[in-house]
Amino acid sequence: MGILSCFGLLAGLLLLAPRPSAARDLPLYTQWINYTQANGFPEGEVFCVTVDGNRVWAGTAHGLVLLENGQVKRVFTQADGLVGRAVMSIAVDKQTGDVWIGTFGGLSRYSGGQFKNYTNLSSGLANDLVYSVAIQGQYVWVATAAGVCRLDTYSGAWTIFNEKNAPFDEPWAYSLALGKDKIYMGVWGGGVIVYDTANRSWRPYEDPDGEMEIVLYRNQGLIHQIVSGVAYNPDTDMFWASTYFGLSGYDGRNWHNYLSKDSGLASDFINAVKSRGDEVWACTDKGLSYLDYQRQIWVNYRPDPKSGHGEIEITGPDGKKSHVKTATSIAHNYTLNMDFQGTDIWVGTAQGLSHGIRQPQKGEQVNESSRNRR
Amino acid sequence: MTCGRSRWLSAAAMTVPVLVAGLGWRPSLRAAPAQGSDWTESPGPRYLTPVALQLSPDGRRLYTVCQDSDLVLAVDTHSQQVVGREKVGRKPAGIAVSPDGKKLYVSNELSSTLSEIDTDSFQVRRTLDAGWGPVGITTDRYGKVLYVANTQGGDVSLIDLSAGREIKRLDAGHFPEYVALSRDGRFVYVSNLLARLATYDEPVVSELTVIDTSRQVVSQRVDVPGVIQLRHIAEVPSTAGGYLLVPFMRPKNVNPLIHLQQGWYLTHGLAVIRPSGSRGMDERKARVSEVLLDDIDHYYADGFGAASTPDGRWALVTASGADIVSVIDTAKLNRLLRQAPAADPEALANRLDSARQFVARRLPTGRNPTAVVVSPDGRFAYLTNRMDDTISVVDMQQLKIASTIDLGGPKEVTAARHGARLFFDARYCFQGQLACATCHPHGGLSDGLAWVLETPQLGRDVVENRTLLSITETSPFKWNGKNLDLATQDGPRTAMYIFRSQGFSPAEVKDLVTFMNSLQMLPNPRLASESGLNEAQARGRGIFFRTTTNDGRLIAPQDRCYYCHPPLTHFTSRVTMNVGTATPYDTIQGFDIPQLDGVHMRAPYLHNGEALTLEEIWTKFNPQDKHGITSDMDKVQLNDLIEYLKTL
Repeated sequence: MGILSCFGLLAGLLLLAPRPSAARDLPLYTQWINYTQANGFPEGEVFCVTVDGNRVWAGTAHGLVLLENGQVKRVFTQADGLVGRAVMSIAVDKQTGDVWIGTFGGLSRYSGGQFKNYTNLSSGLANDLVYSVAIQGQYVWVATAAGVCRLDTYSGAWTIFNEKNAPFDEPWAYSLALGKDKIYMGVWGGGVIVYDTANRSWRPYEDPDGEMEIVLYRNQGLIHQIVSGVAYNPDTDMFWASTYFGLSGYDGRNWHNYLSKDSGLASDFINAVKSRGDEVWACTDKGLSYLDYQRQIWVNYRPDPKSGHGEIEITGPDGKKSHVKTATSIAHNYTLNMDFQGTDIWVGTAQGLSHGIRQPQKGEQVNESSRNRR
Repeated sequence: MTCGRSRWLSAAAMTVPVLVAGLGWRPSLRAAPAQGSDWTESPGPRYLTPVALQLSPDGRRLYTVCQDSDLVLAVDTHSQQVVGREKVGRKPAGIAVSPDGKKLYVSNELSSTLSEIDTDSFQVRRTLDAGWGPVGITTDRYGKVLYVANTQGGDVSLIDLSAGREIKRLDAGHFPEYVALSRDGRFVYVSNLLARLATYDEPVVSELTVIDTSRQVVSQRVDVPGVIQLRHIAEVPSTAGGYLLVPFMRPKNVNPLIHLQQGWYLTHGLAVIRPSGSRGMDERKARVSEVLLDDIDHYYADGFGAASTPDGRWALVTASGADIVSVIDTAKLNRLLRQAPAADPEALANRLDSARQFVARRLPTGRNPTAVVVSPDGRFAYLTNRMDDTISVVDMQQLKIASTIDLGGPKEVTAARHGARLFFDARYCFQGQLACATCHPHGGLSDGLAWVLETPQLGRDVVENRTLLSITETSPFKWNGKNLDLATQDGPRTAMYIFRSQGFSPAEVKDLVTFMNSLQMLPNPRLASESGLNEAQARGRGIFFRTTTNDGRLIAPQDRCYYCHPPLTHFTSRVTMNVGTATPYDTIQGFDIPQLDGVHMRAPYLHNGEALTLEEIWTKFNPQDKHGITSDMDKVQLNDLIEYLKTL
């Protein structure tokens, strides 16, 4: 561990304030390393981030970035063969090692140092505005502005799912997540649609309040139609949906909805959601929110606009809040997406990429990635 | 849309398909054979046609696959006698030997299967499934995983031999054909026959695909610029250079074919490739050099097989159109390569004075030599003479042909066999530069390039090459439809415009046409049977035969797909038609309507190859609905139509 890093950690520790008793053993991310234009990262938004072992792929408004062991290794742009400038989604095929990249100019596959591109003029891709990509065996699922497509990489056949052959109220598909024989599709203005690949059936989930911006009865269904992201948690067998008007989770029987007005959620405007184990992460426009689902404890991360340092807000199940200051902070409060790297997290924000290093727990071995300081 | 012939003639020609469509009868598809069945066999003697071979680890047995007899043969290298024969699948194309020498693996291209043979009993033990059109095959260094290049699928299957099934499929390049395991077992190299899809005004680039065997992923896609038809791969040991040698053809396809000197319109050579060997980031770090094997006044057409002696002193490359095997002095080759700028792969690529510096011998072989291997002790090399049913034995100490092994094929030469020999023979061309097979490799495919074949004006009448498979009954020929039959196409026209020589005699043309009439489309893996259309394909068929637009307006008969592409005549009405795709550089507006059989593997499309995919035919090149009424279709309908077309 470097000297500067030790200083940072110590400074963070010195700023710690007493936490509510229920949250004392809560893992916190007290150290952040940011990649911004100031240190060579492309300017502007980081729309997506995908971890692949010691590699981190980040999709930005100005190209695709590869980091290895915490260092920026390469920035790919259209000059390198990438099909579009703005990168919205990245998926790594664990079987083949190929990297699939959804952009606002089509779909790219990066393999063996070469890009192969698919556009709606040259292939069966429904639309060049690609929001999300997911890999399921030999199939590549692609969420676009004109529906969800599936490419069979063995036969080269494209299949399009839209309002004509599936229960899409709107064709604008924003997000994909893979479950057990299921594809979860988050549709902007169309709720969540689940496709069962085994029996080829559809199940839509919509806001029972329609498109009214109120919640008449809590936990009666999806909290809102405008779904920006969807995630499946195999540990809990729940899927989660981020919307512009709150957060929803469904366990197969009951809905669990959250609004900022009566929970620790940082904001109802959520761009993406991720979940594993007991963790639920929501990327909001007012910070990164974390929910310990079992204990119903919220933790929000955002930069303190006054000091420039980091601020951690902890909300207990009783609603009581406490705050922790940290020396470093996430790059920006407007968070767009995130992914896990062991116990670390990587977060795409409106102004750069943030690497969150978890404070070591008592008796825990430090995550190897945490040792990679810039 | 205007017709090239008078309207009444066209109407008469269209009557049958229009009537049957109007009666609501959906004409059945051409009877595309299911995989491995109903493959029409030529009458007469059944030739062996050996195409690939391998040696046992101890060098005592030579195994060869015979593509026209569906056999694998074992030859005793000491007695030079055939000591074993076993029937395998349809059209065996590749062969691999397990590291312990106890098993053979044969790829059966038409069956899309693999045969595993016990070398002791010389019997097939099991048959495994592969991808579409398997050819090149190798085991990993442990004999646990098979790597199989699937030509039609464009990918490589990894077969777990203990489980007996495919565990992974990796995307390769365009028509992957041959594979080779690196000497250290770390990598599998895959050569792709055809170049990456590009329009005629873009540089030709081929790909050598590199697979990392420890991670079983593609780690590099090496650009080999300016060439196509990468074939067998030989690895020279590190003590002699440590590079790969891969034969290629280098086309000058957009030069008009009037300038005969300095390489004319294609040359033949070797790619010298040093993959990075890195297991890290998959960047294009390979070093590529290109040298020619041709001489300034003679060409050695269709480089095919490649092998290196164990000490790397010599490399051998067969020229399957010249009936020659070139023996390369690798020390002299290394000297030449050191003189060239390392950063420019094409520094020597046009030097017709290079070969004499490093080619030690040009040895005459039998007809159409293909694969070549070297014995483990480096004493002998063996190569298959595909059109002679023999194997030539090269004495590597004296650098001469020591003997010829007769594999026992029929001695009678039928018209079709004679025609096949002519097809592969470059002697009829000026300076031996090319044979029919040069531009129609792998038994008659299109090379996927556009050429300026006709006019002396640079850039005018650029025309896409076409397949020769199943073209009987699809006359006339030539992009303007002016050659009424194959005899005209292959006789005077070929002599005047292609070979620039006397060409074939009338009797030879007749036999060549007999052979070409025997060339059949490869089984389409997308279609199991007439009733085997999936939902999208069935919808697409409905669109192909539709008579009204989406909003119910009647489509004029001449604007319907089946008007120009009637199914009963191989989906071509055999006339010329103006579909609005002529460019300012074309001297005509109407083009011969191509058949649609096997269209899924005939990219790029349109008369000049401008459409790189089927989609682009209509998304980019049909703004006025002159090539069928498609502007009312949505994307799903277009996808369905294309899925149907891919089944033809």
